[in-house]
Order: sequence, then C-alpha cells, then structure tokens
Amino acid sequence: MRKSRLKNSQSTASAGFTKMAAAGIQLHPSCRARQEGFGLLFYDCRGPRLLFAATGTLLPADYYGTVRARDEFPAGVSDSQKQALQKFVTQLLEKGFLREQ
Amino acid sequence: MSNKYVEMGMRSPVNLTWEVTLACNLRCSHCLSSSGEKACNELSTAEALDLVEQLHTAGVFQVNFGGGEPFIRPDFEEILAACHSHGIMTCISTNGTLITPELVARLGSNRLVAIQVSLDGAKRETCDAVRGDGVFDAAIQAVKLLAATRIPTSINTVLTTQNADEIPAMHDLAKSLGVSLRVSRFRPSGRGADNWESLRPSPSQLIAFSDWLAASGDVRTGDSFFSLTTQERQGLGLNLCGAAKLTCCVSPTGHMYPCAFLQSDRFEAGDLRTSSFQEIWDTSEIYASFRSLRIHSCEECTRFDQCHGGCPAVAWHLKNDINGGDPECLERCVTSIADNQLKEAA
Ligand code: SF4
Ligand code: SF4
Repeated sequence: MRKSRLKNSQSTASAGFTKMAAAGIQLHPSCRARQEGFGLLFYDCRGPRLLFAATGTLLPADYYGTVRARDEFPAGVSDSQKQALQKFVTQLLEKGFLREQ
Repeated sequence: MSNKYVEMGMRSPVNLTWEVTLACNLRCSHCLSSSGEKACNELSTAEALDLVEQLHTAGVFQVNFGGGEPFIRPDFEEILAACHSHGIMTCISTNGTLITPELVARLGSNRLVAIQVSLDGAKRETCDAVRGDGVFDAAIQAVKLLAATRIPTSINTVLTTQNADEIPAMHDLAKSLGVSLRVSRFRPSGRGADNWESLRPSPSQLIAFSDWLAASGDVRTGDSFFSLTTQERQGLGLNLCGAAKLTCCVSPTGHMYPCAFLQSDRFEAGDLRTSSFQEIWDTSEIYASFRSLRIHSCEECTRFDQCHGGCPAVAWHLKNDINGGDPECLERCVTSIADNQLKEAA
C-alpha cells in the first residue's frame, strides 16, 4: 500500500490537552478542528455537526487544543481581526465546540 | 450546513465508512453489503494500520466502522487502538452478538469510541424475522452491557415496512435501556436490493415517520433522512449528499467508493493497494463527478434547498440514474399518495 504524501496532519487530538490553572476556553473533547482553504473546519462527533469558520490562516487548527484566555489571539492579529475573532469565539462557545475550563 | 464551503472542496473527508470485513455471523435480509463470507483479499493487519496512518495524515476526524461484523476481525481492536492513538474518533456498527463483558471492559476505558447496536424491531419477532432467530435477545444483552459503561451507545434501526409502526416503541425501549435511538434509511443495495419490495416502507409510512421525527428531536438519523426532513429538524444534520464531498467509503479489500451504498465497479474511485488515500481523494474522476453532481430535475422543487435532490444512491438503485432525484423524498411520497388516491377515486 502506498503511503500518503502529506507530511503534517493539522487535525487536533484531545490526547495532548493540558489543563492549566487559569480559567479559559478550550476545544470540547468531542470536537476537532482542521485547516481548510477557507479557514477552520470544526467537527463535533456528538451530532455529528460541522462548523465552517472563514478565519483564513488567522488561527492555527490546534490553537484551542490548549486552554486560552477568551481575548487571547496569536501575535500579529490586528485589532479589527480580533473583534471578528471574538464574535467567532462566542459562536463556538454557544454551539459547544469550545468550552470554558 | 454551508454548501458554499463544501463546494470549494475539502482537503479530505470529515468522516468515512470503513467496512473492515465482509464476514458476518448473521445473514440479515436488508444487509447493504450482502455480508456473510469473508471477502478474498481483505486488507491485512499491516495494510489496515497503514491506512490508519494515512487517515491521520489526511486529517480525517472520524471513522465509522462497519462490515460485515467488525468484531469478527481478530485484529479489529488493534485497528481501533491505532485510530485512537491519533485522536481519530471511531463509531462501530455491530450486530451485538459478539459483545462480551470482557470486550466491553476493554473498550470502556476509551473515550474515543461510540457503538451502534443494530436492532430492527421493538418486538422480538419483528427483529428476528429480518436478522435471524435469537438476535433480538443477544442485541439487547449487548446494549445492556454497553449502557453500563460510559461508551456512547445507540440502538440503530433500519426503517422497514415491518417495523415502521414500532419506531415509537423502539424509542421507548432505547430510553428504558439508557441509550439513544438512531434510525437509518433502508436502501436497495446488497441483499437490501433483493428484498426491496418486501421490506421497503410505503410512502405513507415514510411521511408518518417524517412527522414523528419532527417531534422527536433526540432521535438521530445520520444523513439518512435529510430528503424527508421537515423544517423542525433543519440544522440537526446535513441537507445534501456528502458522498465524495464530506465522506467516502473504504471496502474490506481497500477499494474506495463515494459511499457505502455505492460499492460497485461503476463507482470505484481507486484502490489503496496502488494509490494513496490522499491521491484517490484528490484525483478520482468518480469523486470529481459527485462533487459536481447537480440534480437538475429537482431544482424547481420547493424543498430543493432542504435536500438538494436527496440520495443519489437510491436514485441509482431504483432508476439507474444518479442525476434522477431521490424517488423517496418527502415531495415524491406526497405526490405518490395523491396519485394513488386519484386512481382509487377514478
Ligand atoms: S446487516 Fe449487519 S449484522 Fe446483518 S448480515 Fe449485514 S453486516 Fe451482518
Ligand atoms: S449517496 Fe445517499 S447514502 Fe450515500 S452519502 Fe449520499 S445521501 Fe448518503
């Protein structure tokens, strides 16, 4: 059988989650995210449900694999992009893809 | 469900059906893959484990294992463990007859596995008529063992004309056992094609089921019934066929198809023994044809946005036309009942 040629998976796994003392948000253990051309694709196996987030390359797929503060975003994200990402985080929380720790 | 992004093309399926063996200890009359004897040349353990690596690399979120009976494969738990080591979620469709307390104890420690036990009636005689003598009791026993663990467990029922009236009772049964109910659509493939006329639900049964489903939000259907889905359930699942766009199927011998109900030479997308998973996903002409499939005959329908022409597999099996529109969608069920009433009145 021939091996796949892609080298890196950008899907996130719950196995590597680290729980930190500070309160924050994190991908729900039943959910995964991966990079697609439009941005991030979120998958919730409890539905199953999908969420398409047109985030481009602003957020890495594994960003919420670790606990993050609600207003924490990668370096280099502009203020206007942060505002859009805040709304997106709220939506992810409401829909259960992210959960508060 | 955002068709815009789906139409842009996914880098890999979000989930897939992997029929790990054709071997089965039962001979259910609706079996989609005519399971029974193991197929010649099924993927070896090494090939199966290599495929898991490829699925991980491709970013596949979930593998839905079916068959045949997956637990017949002696290396099945090894394949599962390989998936779980990469964080790939797994859902196993089983007939329940091989579920033992020891197996449940081994699986129960894992948070990435879900199990669907097939049961085709709330009454023993209804279920066993399709699945074989003693299967109802064995399946219930399996569900009880699983319900005592934290493994997400569901009873999976294929809707047929025989059990259509028992679906609410199946819902109650599932609740009483502490598991959920999932209802799947009966499609005319495998032995299901041979027994189609005797098992297919009537249009009025399909409409009654659609109404019941609208009022039963906790019942899951996968993608099975989106062509029958009413407004109340919009948002609970897909509203279009995901074949080759969001999902695909791997056969026991490592051939890839758009979906489990389209496993024939006509729809073979590639062979994992000669090409990689990603190459097949990216370059198969069959997959490309499904991605650009437009059911033009349905575009004038008022429900088009809700179902986009329904299930191409049913259209293929019943009308030999992949573009033909789902012959059993809600709209056509209503029309068929009205036509019959007119004929009777004439
Ligand atoms: S329906 Fe399932 S249990 Fe029945 S013969 Fe087919 S694979 Fe086996
Ligand atoms: S062809 Fe039918 S069964 Fe297969 S994925 Fe599409 S809708 Fe589902």
